[in-house]
Amino acid sequence: MKDDVNDTAPGGEPFDDPGPDGFDDTADDLGTGLLEESLRQAAAILDPVPAELRRLAVEAFALHDLDARIAELTFDSVVDAIPVRGAADPPRMLTFRADEVTVDVEVSAQGLMGQVLPPQRARVEVLSGPQRAVPVDADDMGRFTSDTPPAGPFALRLRTGGRVVVTEWLRA
Amino acid sequence: MRVGTVPSAAYDGVPYTRGGAVDRADVGALVRSAVDGDAAAWKALVEGLSPLVWSVVRAHRLSDADAHEVYQTVWFRFAQHLGRLREPEKAGSWLASTARHECLKVLRSLRRLTVTSDPHLLDRVSEDRTPEQSVLDSEEAAAESERIRWMWQEFEELGERCRQLLRVLMASPPPSYQEVSAALGIAVGSIGPLRQRCLRRLRARLDARGAL
Repeated sequence: MKDDVNDTAPGGEPFDDPGPDGFDDTADDLGTGLLEESLRQAAAILDPVPAELRRLAVEAFALHDLDARIAELTFDSVVDAIPVRGAADPPRMLTFRADEVTVDVEVSAQGLMGQVLPPQRARVEVLSGPQRAVPVDADDMGRFTSDTPPAGPFALRLRTGGRVVVTEWLRA
Repeated sequence: MRVGTVPSAAYDGVPYTRGGAVDRADVGALVRSAVDGDAAAWKALVEGLSPLVWSVVRAHRLSDADAHEVYQTVWFRFAQHLGRLREPEKAGSWLASTARHECLKVLRSLRRLTVTSDPHLLDRVSEDRTPEQSVLDSEEAAAESERIRWMWQEFEELGERCRQLLRVLMASPPPSYQEVSAALGIAVGSIGPLRQRCLRRLRARLDARGAL
């Protein structure tokens, strides 16, 4: 393999209109374009999307629900709060909001506690993926608890008064 | 059903569509079909845009566990927002930008917790076996395999900025500059020159090593 890029255009393509200074740029661009393509092939071999993840993404289609309202994350102590000095492992506080419904959630190693506001009964599922989850009931005050702390991506699906609200997916 | 929303954007002579498994111009149509319940369209979106999401995650050098979780979170959220995307044809940028924000969030919380997880992926190679990998196993391809590993090593040793940019550009099909911009938070106009510079730098390293 010789370094004779300047003698022939890579790929044998003639340059139509190199323009002023254009020749070098174009040759350079083709050279780097080839290098980029080599890198792309290397990535496909050495660091491809894991097959398991691809499968999970395909299955995630089941999560699309045009009728559910999305409660957006409006507060996350990981991002928005100043860490408390001395608190080794403080619970993570999250707030989600969808119009008039607010959900406050506290996630700790013990599990998950939350409250629907304004206070109301609800069935709450802690989702970890497209599969169904065992629901827990929120009491009259809208309070609910779950013993299993979420691991990995999670979302809450709330059914309350004929409405379905799903919180934005987050990493635990 | 053909939806005529071909993006006209072309930056620095690099067309919006640079070819590949999924024609980027079809992304909007695929999103609309998926919204209508077409699982095959969704699958095509995953096939076409997974490598972009993965590249963005890898560009941020997360641990494997974090990388997997961010990737899933991004796709779960994409499914959740599917019917609400304001610009379905820019789904790639949406995914890239969501992946970036999740990565930054992870990095921020790691910094806060000063967890001693090793974010360096220098010698880490996916255990997934691809058809290409099997080809590489054959003896005739040993030299090619070594060449690729050299290139990867030199790529990993580039400065952080170049390493990030090139890792995102490596997605297959090649990402548009809008997607790269969303993935890394850099202006579209600076990507072309930066790309040239980084590839030239990599080329110089490879030349110095006598590879390629």
